[in-house]
Amino acid sequence: MNQPIEMTKHFKHIVALMLALLFAFPVSASADQEKGDEKKDVNVKEIIFEHLGDGYGWEVPFSHVYRIPLPVIVKAEDGKWFCFSSASLTEVEVVEDMKTGEKEKHLLPVVKKVERNGRDYEFIIAKVSKHKDKVVQIFPLSPQEESRVVAMADSIAVESGSSEGAAVVPGYVYHDGKYYREYRTFDISITKNVLALFICVIIVTAMVMSVVRYYSRKGLKAPRKGMGFMEMLVDFIYTGVIKSTLGAEKGRRFAPFLLTCFFFILVMNLVGLIVIFPGGANLTGNIAVTLVLALLTFIVTNVLGKKHYWKEIFWPDVPIWLKCPLPIMQVIEIFGIFTKPAALCVRLFANMMGGHMIVITLVLLIFIFAAFGAAAAGASVVISIVFTVFMLLLDVLVSFIQAYVFTMLSTMFIAMSQEDGHAHGESAAAELSADVEA
Amino acid sequence: MELFTPDFGLVFWMFVAFVILFLVLAKWGWPVIIKSMENRADTIDKGVEYAREAKEQLDNARSEAQKYVAEAQKQQAEILRDAAKMKTQIIEEARNEASAEAKKVMDAAKVSIEQSRKEAELQFRNEVSKFSIEIAEKMVRNQMKSDKAQVELVDKLLNEIEKN
Repeated sequence: MNQPIEMTKHFKHIVALMLALLFAFPVSASADQEKGDEKKDVNVKEIIFEHLGDGYGWEVPFSHVYRIPLPVIVKAEDGKWFCFSSASLTEVEVVEDMKTGEKEKHLLPVVKKVERNGRDYEFIIAKVSKHKDKVVQIFPLSPQEESRVVAMADSIAVESGSSEGAAVVPGYVYHDGKYYREYRTFDISITKNVLALFICVIIVTAMVMSVVRYYSRKGLKAPRKGMGFMEMLVDFIYTGVIKSTLGAEKGRRFAPFLLTCFFFILVMNLVGLIVIFPGGANLTGNIAVTLVLALLTFIVTNVLGKKHYWKEIFWPDVPIWLKCPLPIMQVIEIFGIFTKPAALCVRLFANMMGGHMIVITLVLLIFIFAAFGAAAAGASVVISIVFTVFMLLLDVLVSFIQAYVFTMLSTMFIAMSQEDGHAHGESAAAELSADVEA
Repeated sequence: MELFTPDFGLVFWMFVAFVILFLVLAKWGWPVIIKSMENRADTIDKGVEYAREAKEQLDNARSEAQKYVAEAQKQQAEILRDAAKMKTQIIEEARNEASAEAKKVMDAAKVSIEQSRKEAELQFRNEVSKFSIEIAEKMVRNQMKSDKAQVELVDKLLNEIEKN
């Protein structure tokens, strides 16, 4: 959000390289090499992490410096709440190149000052700090303290062996040539990801409600096209996963939760794949989002779990020596209660984040290879684009599969906790009869 | 690794967003969709069942109609057969009656013919005898015209009587 990495620039590069390939191979090669000396190296890690991470503003499509301002909501150290626009935390700095006259825009963090009850509150998006890219409250240091911190920073820099830039000192933030004491605010800002969440909520609600409205208007007439697809998905999950695993009666009880999970995840996955504004937020590739989803499954599974479920955990049907003097099975089972949702959480997160990461890396390959001249750049453009498109299409498939897998596994965990034990045969018979009816 | 440390703000909002979405959809969304889908499935099932029954009934009606038609045809044939039988019988009777009548007429005719023939025979005999007598008388008269002949005859007759 603040580094001068410009999608526009990248985009121009791609176009320029393609044109160069088409028209002026040798000419552009020499020109590129000249330019290459001036350019900073592409910081791959930085770019990847920025794209995968959250932000206080949302990029305006095709512009890297301008952001859609979003509200920042933070609690200062003394417990007071503050709400201000994310635009007041950054500033666009225009740097003009002396030789070429080319203007380059940079996004820089600035201090946001708020005065309340005669006290000054200063906030900043930390850059050189333990809490990188988060809003922190800063406090100026006294001269002695500052010299102490600078000494600490020097020793850290020597230890880590890096000479460039300021060193990260725990508990302090470096900004504009000075160290400040930082306080990581209690932060519930409407960030890019949060806004994307709300957009997804609206999309899912609109999708479902459109079908509901259709039913209330047209009664039993089957919906066509988009709504038909929506209904097909609902049927696919409800009949194919929920009803067949939980049975009709329990299925109906848990269907709202599971269907909401499925559609929310699916929409978040797909919206995450869209590059510009309404999309672009890597939602399900963010562990906070998947953590909440998994946590909810965990709560539903364990809070609504039946007696038999707990009996299976604390007194499973295994030879007595496995559970009596030493509670081996109990330990394993209790461990299992937590590993199941953890696996859910990590599976979705890793799959989606991995997909995004591969796509970004493939695109970045172009800029890495651009350093080796036009021929390498041209070839890598073609290869990267082909692979990127392939990966994105694959990600569409993965989006669906992961939403499905999450729902299916949640259903299975819930089914396990809902088992009655003695009614095992009955439910099987009921299922069989349901199959026969179908 | 900031990627692996969940951000509290996002966790909080995600929880809020999910709970709101869940409550809205659980109240107004999913139950309606599921109910509508199940209703429709039931309706379709019923429709199929109804169509099957209707087809069955139609088939039944068709076979029944065929049965009726066959029966009617059978009756028709029977009636026709009866009619033919009756016709031949009537014709036979008529013929018999006619022949009996004819025979009666013939017999009567024969009798009358026979009678007339007898009468004619009788009459004819009478006539013939009368004519023969007349002829004989005439011949006799003619032959007996001369006295000599008369004497000769008397002689002859007398001779005959004498011989006897």
